[in-house]
Amino acid sequence: MTDPPVIALTIVGAILIATIAFALFSVRRITMDPQQYIVGGRSFGTILLWVLLAGEIYTSFTFLGASGWAYGLGAPAYYILAYGACAYIIGYFLLPAIWRVGKERGLLTSADFFADRYDSAALGVFTGVTQFLVLIPYVALQLSGLQLLLRMAGYGRVDATFGVSTAFLLIALFVFSAGLRGTAWASIVKDALVLAAVIFAGIVIPVQFFGSPAHMIDQVLRVHPGHLTLLAGTSSHGTIWYVSTVLLTSIGFFMAPHGFSAIYSARSEATLRRNAMFLPFYQVVMLLVILAGLAALLIVPGLSGTAVDQSFLLVVQRYYPPWVMGFVAAAGALAALVPASAQLLGAASIFAKNVLGVFGIATGDAARTLATRVLVVVVAVLALGYWLEEQRTLVELILIYYNGVVQFLPGVVAAFGFARVSAWSVAAGIATGFALVVFLTLSGTPLGGVNPGLVALAGNVAITALVAIFFPRRAHRYEPIAN
Amino acid sequence: MVPLRVLLAAIPFAALTVCIPLVNRIEPRIAGLPFMLAWILAWVLLTPAFLWSIGRVERRW
Repeated sequence: MTDPPVIALTIVGAILIATIAFALFSVRRITMDPQQYIVGGRSFGTILLWVLLAGEIYTSFTFLGASGWAYGLGAPAYYILAYGACAYIIGYFLLPAIWRVGKERGLLTSADFFADRYDSAALGVFTGVTQFLVLIPYVALQLSGLQLLLRMAGYGRVDATFGVSTAFLLIALFVFSAGLRGTAWASIVKDALVLAAVIFAGIVIPVQFFGSPAHMIDQVLRVHPGHLTLLAGTSSHGTIWYVSTVLLTSIGFFMAPHGFSAIYSARSEATLRRNAMFLPFYQVVMLLVILAGLAALLIVPGLSGTAVDQSFLLVVQRYYPPWVMGFVAAAGALAALVPASAQLLGAASIFAKNVLGVFGIATGDAARTLATRVLVVVVAVLALGYWLEEQRTLVELILIYYNGVVQFLPGVVAAFGFARVSAWSVAAGIATGFALVVFLTLSGTPLGGVNPGLVALAGNVAITALVAIFFPRRAHRYEPIAN
Repeated sequence: MVPLRVLLAAIPFAALTVCIPLVNRIEPRIAGLPFMLAWILAWVLLTPAFLWSIGRVERRW
């Protein structure tokens, strides 16, 4: 009998290489100019876009985090099920408007959107640099997810750092070659494998151990009464926290810097509306992940701290054969690497177009594609180096990321309906928002259960509005968001 | 007067956010799920129907 880590890790490696090969084969005939490389030639239909969006949105940390929350906290994990649907309701109205501007003005990145709508290259550089800086720790987070999965697949006997570095550099070379379209094709494999893995984890495991998910919940209620309801009001992770967090995460949902490129990649406004309509169905996956976390709570009790994130992987590792572990870990590894590929491309294209481009470097089509490609590899090496150095502070930085990206929202919304808002007001608002996020997150200031990002957003909106009132913009150029 | 399409968007959004403190309980269990979890799941699955209706109101499909 072969060693379990060898079987599991071989499956992970084989699936990873097969996915890359499949995606490279699918894009082999595409000639890459910046439009094609960064936003897929604005040609993705409903299905490919759906797969790409699902591929980017649902990361390994969505899965590990959601099961970990269900294990450690219980009912607060429900927010992960709810906020996606709320985000898609907002997306139905917001995404077509963002796409229309992108199409008319030939935009490629989210910093482009700011530079164009506020007629200010300086605002493009400011938002571009800010977005670049928040993306690096976010890419590094995917590496932590990957490390956790490879450690589990190695049954604790393999040092995962080498595997993480190799897999990640492989993905960087893949993005170098295939661009956004490659990510979309790789997402097909990722979404299919993830679906199989969560059906196994959220249905098969509960049925095999408890008879049915309903019986499992009976037992959770017996052993941990109170685990499946929220605490009242202002308690930590209470009802006020829940409502404010769903509000914040759903309105900030589409503000991820790399997300704008995915929006621009749509073929038409209708494609985006249909996607907003169909994406809530993907949220059912999160229900299964929550059930998997609850199953793990009963099967492998007693984990605490960050160990809860590996709870359901531990069930698979202890009670199922190595090949099952291999497939589950491969699904998780793709859920780390596919979003990472989109984030690499996002960070690289923002830097190439909105920073280098403004200073007159690599402005031609061929030069810009090449610059973006080289930057993909540079960003990958930066993120890897950052991850190897700073693994401990990562969790805090991620809180800053989640609460930080929503700070771009006032500038995006104002671009559609508030003619007085100038580049200066937007920049002042974003700076205020980020300063508040960093301060509130790191100092742990008590806010009566309200999510700190939402408080920072209020400060952001107040400053944006004040600057707009006292120093209004002179030139009027906007179109209302509703039509 | 709130436009119909805004109302249609606000209903599922409110059900998944501000209504949650009102449904924060276990009983009655629905298909074995605690009531709040079943409530959230139901509204997540109803969201496409609301978005489809908005599209109809806007004459997009």
